[in-house]
Amino acid sequence: MSSDTLKKRKAKVIRSDGGTPENKRGRAEGEQSEEVEERRRQGCVHFVTLKKLNRLAHMRLKKGRDQTHEAKQRVDVLHLQLQNLLYEVMHLQKEIGKCLEFKSQHEEIELVSVDEFLKEAPAEISRPHLTKEDPHQLTLARLDWELEQRKRLAEQYKSSLCSKEKILKGIELKKEYLGSLQPGLQAIMQASLPVQEYLSMPFEHVQKQAEVARHLPPPLYVLFVQANAYGQAFDKNLTVSISGDVDEAKALSRPPEDSQDDESDSDAEEEQQNTKRRRATVGVQLDDKRKEMLKRHPLSLCIDLKCKDGSVLHLFFYYLMNLNILTVKAKVSTSADLSGAISAGELLNSESLLNCLYASDHGQETPNPGNRYQFDKVGITTFADYVSELGHPYNWVQSLGGLQFFGDAPQTEGAQSSLSASHMEATMKLLRGRLQSRLALHKQFSSLEHSIVPVSSECQHLFPAKVVSRLARWTMMSYQEFMELSFVQHVVKAGLMKETDLFFMATVERGTARLQAAVVLNPRYPEITPLFSLSLLWKGERSGRTDDNLRAMESEVNVFKSELQGPRPGLQLLTNQIQRLCMCLDVYLETESQVSDGSEGPREFPREKMCLRTARGPNRLKPFKYNHPQGFFSHR
Amino acid sequence: MGKLLHMSVFSQSFSPCGRFLAAGNNYGEIAVFSLSAALSPDATDMSQKPILTFTAHEGPVFMLLSTDTHLLSAGNGEISAWSWVELTKRVVLRVVPSICHFVTFIVFQDNSLIVGGGDNNIHIMDMETGIFKSVLQGHTDYIHCLALKEREGEILSGGEDGAVRIWGPITYIFLVINFFLPEECTRPQFGKWISCLATDSDWMLCGGGPSLSLWHLRSMSPTSVFPLAGCQRDAMFYQDMILAVGEGPHVSHCLLGGSVKAQIPCTSPSLNTLALNLSSTEHRVMTVAGSSDQIDVFTNFSYRAFSLSF
Repeated sequence: MSSDTLKKRKAKVIRSDGGTPENKRGRAEGEQSEEVEERRRQGCVHFVTLKKLNRLAHMRLKKGRDQTHEAKQRVDVLHLQLQNLLYEVMHLQKEIGKCLEFKSQHEEIELVSVDEFLKEAPAEISRPHLTKEDPHQLTLARLDWELEQRKRLAEQYKSSLCSKEKILKGIELKKEYLGSLQPGLQAIMQASLPVQEYLSMPFEHVQKQAEVARHLPPPLYVLFVQANAYGQAFDKNLTVSISGDVDEAKALSRPPEDSQDDESDSDAEEEQQNTKRRRATVGVQLDDKRKEMLKRHPLSLCIDLKCKDGSVLHLFFYYLMNLNILTVKAKVSTSADLSGAISAGELLNSESLLNCLYASDHGQETPNPGNRYQFDKVGITTFADYVSELGHPYNWVQSLGGLQFFGDAPQTEGAQSSLSASHMEATMKLLRGRLQSRLALHKQFSSLEHSIVPVSSECQHLFPAKVVSRLARWTMMSYQEFMELSFVQHVVKAGLMKETDLFFMATVERGTARLQAAVVLNPRYPEITPLFSLSLLWKGERSGRTDDNLRAMESEVNVFKSELQGPRPGLQLLTNQIQRLCMCLDVYLETESQVSDGSEGPREFPREKMCLRTARGPNRLKPFKYNHPQGFFSHR
Repeated sequence: MGKLLHMSVFSQSFSPCGRFLAAGNNYGEIAVFSLSAALSPDATDMSQKPILTFTAHEGPVFMLLSTDTHLLSAGNGEISAWSWVELTKRVVLRVVPSICHFVTFIVFQDNSLIVGGGDNNIHIMDMETGIFKSVLQGHTDYIHCLALKEREGEILSGGEDGAVRIWGPITYIFLVINFFLPEECTRPQFGKWISCLATDSDWMLCGGGPSLSLWHLRSMSPTSVFPLAGCQRDAMFYQDMILAVGEGPHVSHCLLGGSVKAQIPCTSPSLNTLALNLSSTEHRVMTVAGSSDQIDVFTNFSYRAFSLSF
């Protein structure tokens, strides 16, 4: 480049030189041409020197470059060597590091301590002369020892395994043997049952019952225990048994939340069903809810009361879980066939047999006041609709199960066995009495329907030998028919009868006279006297309201229970009342004929009864009281 | 409850002060009611119950009579006196078994008790000593009722035999006047017994089996016969009216002329006794009782005000 610039300058110089010389041509053409030539020659020499200098410079440069280049190469080579070495050094260092870091497995093995090793290991392995100095050898030896120990222990382990297998097999055999023993024992137990019965020590039966009884709900359990205890202590004729599905009961005793959740899920599913059918599902839902609320516990208790004449009262007790009440159903089985008494149809009806065992205990409504709110939720108006299916929730049943509900006095809830115990005896006696009285009535009714008043020999002294009036008819009446009668209104007004009572009509006849007696029989007969209301059809109609003597006859029959009930337990009451009624009618008719008619004809009823006097007092009552053994009638 | 249904009240008597009523029933009990409590403006149901009930006799209490200090009651052959001051203390005046079953009596002047009994006789007893002074015999069947003509001191008695006898004063020589009742009175379908007697100086009421009839004593003839259906068991003169009770659930108000002015209904189907509380001005009531446990009280005689019950 410098050559170029030099050349350019030269060019310029040349031009300018050329220029100037051109300018000066004219004047000194001669002289000038020599100068010019000289100058040209100088210039050329200069040019040549310049080129030479340039050439030299270039050559120097080139040399310098080449030298530099070589030096550079040498340095690079050395640099590479250095790099290689450094790299190798690094590599070696890494290797060393790796080697140093290498943890051999042997360090993870827990070796026995050195002292122990030196003690236990045999000399061949431990080689103490070597290992004392050399830790490497020591470790090796220790590893050897470890290996040998492990081999030994592995062998031991294998042998132990084998022996264990053998022992297990032995156990299996023995188990099988025992298993085969069980049926044998069962057979023995079965065979011993007759012996148990013979000795009347039913152990197995009792055990089985106790086993099942564990799954009973608390009120039924209380009842079971108390009834068993009572039966063993007092009453040999009372037997208790449990019936029902034990597995279901076991399922129930598991947490009930699962079943409730299932139910709510299924409800939700039902709601998500077809909207067109929504009404039906709601109704079905309500029905299901009702059924769920009225569900019974799968286990039920059966108590059998045997009476002397062989008839049995079966009582089935059920527990309604959600309502927390007990219900009972009754059934009577008799030794003799009961038939022939049409009017006695209601007597042993299981629906009404246990009605009013205690006063006003009708068993139509649930005694638990909390149930009211539960019923409102599912739309049950009265419990009475379900009574025939579920049983009667009498108050005494709740008491027997130890359940007490808030009555007039504040009481605590929960199954209490002390409550059950105090009621048990009284209730069992009442139940027996009820059954016996009903059966006795049944027999009496069948005889009454045949117009025979059965009077037992113990009660013969209440009546004269000859009673002419006879019972013509004995029929049963319904509540409506009773209310329609005109001569019973005083009983209705006085509130002495209820719809739950039984109503009968007795007709006593003698000659042209007919006496109709409407009888109100309280379910608690014979504790409560049957109530008679009289109406006489003879020469006109008279009733107890219009005729003081008929009223006196009513009181003669109704008021004197202590005389008429006969020997304990007083089951003769009704028949004695009827016989007394016939006797009083006799007296009435015979003494009434004493009235002197204007027109005398033969008296219809001749005087046969002995009376001291036929009238007494301002209302001139007749003598209705019979005196034994003198056999005459007097006033009370 | 059954006992109440079959109760009959046979007798009543007001206390001498007029504030209490004693009633006897067929079970032998006497109940004392407080009239002042029952008639007061703030009377409740409880004030219609007796303040005291006690058993006086074994049999029905057929007769109650009040003297100034005592309540006399008659039961089965015994007459007891109870002091009004201390009613539960009994003084047995006399037990006469021969009188047996039915007794009625009235008080005569000079402290004699005239007792008509079931033995067909009338006994005169001195109340102080309890000794029977004399016996009037003549009836052939038991005596239902007695009446007293105070001015003349004569006793009238009516009995089951259908005779009304007037017993003369002082010497008790009786004048037997057996009434042969004229046909308008007799009711043969009922019988001939006389169960009620009342006198008002010259007039006499008698009834029972025969119809209730008013007699003029001097002429011994019936002046009017009352057309009442049932047999009357108690009757009395009151002002210018005749009050009668008997079979049938009503009190009959009759006029002296023989017409029945009114028949006031009552609760009992038939009535045995009628009593007027004349000794007290503020408790002037009429009470009737019969074949039920209710005693009807009439403050205004035209209607029943309320009932006391045993």
